[in-house]
Amino acid sequence: MSIQPTTFERGSEKYRTKSVWSERGRSIAIFTATMVILIYVLAPVAWLVSSSFQSEVEIVSVPPHWIPQEPTLENFDAIFFQEFEEVTYETRRTVDPAAGGYIPSTAKDLLPSMWNSFIVSVSVVILNLLVGIPAAYAMAKIRFWGRQASIYTILTTRVIPDIALVVPFFLVIKNLGLLDHVMSLIITYLAITVPFTVFILVSYFESLPDELDKAARVDGCSRFQTMINIFLPLAVPSLVAVTLFAFLASWNEFLLALMFTQTIASQTLPIIVASFTSDFTISFSFINAAGVVAIIPPVIIAIFFERYIVSGLTAGAVKG
Amino acid sequence: MTKRVSKLARREFLKVSAAAGAVGALGTSGLFNQAFAASNTVNFMAWSAAVDLVKSHVAEFEKSIGIDVNYANAPWANYRDNIITKFVGGAPLDMMWVSDAWLPEFVDAGWIAPINKFDNLMKYNDEAEDFCNDSMTYKGQQYGLTYYTDFMAFLYDEQALKKAGISSPPTTWDEVTEQCLKIKAAGISEYPLMLALANESWLMNFLAAMVYSHGGRFTDEKGNAAMQSPTEGAIKALQWVIDAVHKHKIVSPACVEIGELTGLKAFQSGNHAFALEPKYRMRPINDPKQSQIAGRCKQVLMPSGDNGKHNTVGWMRFHGMSAATAANQAHAERTAKLIEWFGGRANGEYKFQKYLFTDIGAGFGVKPLFDDKDVQASYNSYADVDMIKAQQALALKSDVVTPWYGEWQETHASAWQAAILGQASAEDAMKKAGDKWNSLKKEFS
Repeated sequence: MSIQPTTFERGSEKYRTKSVWSERGRSIAIFTATMVILIYVLAPVAWLVSSSFQSEVEIVSVPPHWIPQEPTLENFDAIFFQEFEEVTYETRRTVDPAAGGYIPSTAKDLLPSMWNSFIVSVSVVILNLLVGIPAAYAMAKIRFWGRQASIYTILTTRVIPDIALVVPFFLVIKNLGLLDHVMSLIITYLAITVPFTVFILVSYFESLPDELDKAARVDGCSRFQTMINIFLPLAVPSLVAVTLFAFLASWNEFLLALMFTQTIASQTLPIIVASFTSDFTISFSFINAAGVVAIIPPVIIAIFFERYIVSGLTAGAVKG
Repeated sequence: MTKRVSKLARREFLKVSAAAGAVGALGTSGLFNQAFAASNTVNFMAWSAAVDLVKSHVAEFEKSIGIDVNYANAPWANYRDNIITKFVGGAPLDMMWVSDAWLPEFVDAGWIAPINKFDNLMKYNDEAEDFCNDSMTYKGQQYGLTYYTDFMAFLYDEQALKKAGISSPPTTWDEVTEQCLKIKAAGISEYPLMLALANESWLMNFLAAMVYSHGGRFTDEKGNAAMQSPTEGAIKALQWVIDAVHKHKIVSPACVEIGELTGLKAFQSGNHAFALEPKYRMRPINDPKQSQIAGRCKQVLMPSGDNGKHNTVGWMRFHGMSAATAANQAHAERTAKLIEWFGGRANGEYKFQKYLFTDIGAGFGVKPLFDDKDVQASYNSYADVDMIKAQQALALKSDVVTPWYGEWQETHASAWQAAILGQASAEDAMKKAGDKWNSLKKEFS
């Protein structure tokens, strides 16, 4: 005697089958969407890396060679190992391949400019934290007259587009005697990044309960000690976020660096990379090699702080 | 650990802050540049073109003449903004490269000075192309010596035409359409003609070449707008582009986003059969180290429209002197020597212009160089020197170089792009540009 499944069981089995297929369909859809987005995001980076190992003639192949057929290290060799020599009529680089290709002699400026960018970015980050943390803590936890006005005033400064500030900044920097000096960039980048730093940190500090502040004060902590010992350890995600923001904003800034710097003594990476694109003779593969070198530090920093980034950026966004 | 941290007091924090600032300042002080320190140094600003050649020529100047030069450069795309900021901010700037398109604006703003009082500079006018001298002259005063000159050329891929069974390149814009359709039908290229019409500094030269070759001008002899007139070439040229994009589909609709450089690379990759390109680009296009169509790129006279005579647009750049420098006689004389070294003869020869040409193919504005054997050999290695001479003779000076050019060009470029995207008719677009021109002319006068 066979046991026939009841109508309910058959319906249940159908539901389970449908549910499994529905689940699989959903997974496939998510996987496909993920792959599309991944390709969309990573393809330009993959091409950047791939083309940096290609010759100029290979880079314009149709269809493009995603994997270099005749890989070359010529571009990276020019960046890392080009020896300094005085530029004379005899040693100048020309477009003529017989004279040594058309990788610009200024390729050797890439690493010094990277160092300038590093000094500027790190200085801006440090000064941002030194200025931004106390300011944000005070605005978030100390009730003083003009508190709200201070916050809005700081934010308002960021409504002004950078281009409108170029000439006033230029006059200040010139009068300070800092033209063609990295200090000119540190000073002006602070004016741009500190308001954002304060804004992000104020939001984060406000999301932390006031009771912590009061408890610390009852236990004898000064305001300063409360900030350092109680709030800073809790604010690590948002500190990482502002550190990344200040670093990347300084690392990538172009307009002010273009105006205030003139020589490799102070020129930063974006300026040097941009100068490669505007010569009569342009090597796309070399520019892409420069791009690969330029993105390494930010990528390393992003990987290092990856787990804090999202929580830091969303911190304080939703207040309970 | 906690205990140690808790001892950190406010004063210590301030000390740390001050120390960090001091370290930052000290750490960077070693990088402090002497760029503006010495008053007997000539400050020379250029865009980042032919950097090595400029450096080598500067080095030779310092050695031969004994005057120090502080050479700096900025990317071409941002050069104008950069130099204007320096003029406004009063940064030390003695000699600079200037585009003919900026001349009225720079003169009227009082940023650059005439060179007429320097006989050592004016003597070179006899050997320079008249077109170049005219382009450097504004309100009867000359503002520099030529650095380079060039024109917009019509180029084609000889092999693509042969594959499509076309025996000779086009001579009119109608023939361009016909040949493009043949090439497209043969499956050789989806968009046989490459036009780079992105809103960048090159755009005006592309548009002017199209208009002049259609027998038109943007302005009349009195400087009033002529572009909106149906009998002038501007509307015809724009209508040709609109038809090429929408009716014949021989030009990519993305042309409004393609810059000159991107267009160059696309042509080098063999994606197109025809291209409008600055003439000096022939050299990299025919260089096997850089191009897939090396040796196949030829030049033909700019196709003509109904009333056209194969005209194209020519342009030039020059070495100028700042007004602030001209006010100091001794410094002006030092600067004039550097201008002569670059724009005139250096130790008896036009070395800078010659090397600029032989190194990278940039055109020169001094006639004696046409007789130079090295120059002739260089030209003939990748182009037809007779064709270049013939087209250069048909090059016209831009007729929109005015103090209001920059402001007008915003409207003009948008009008062309809107029409090409199908958002306006050719007539409406040119009327808008013409009205803007007349309104600005009135405002400035």
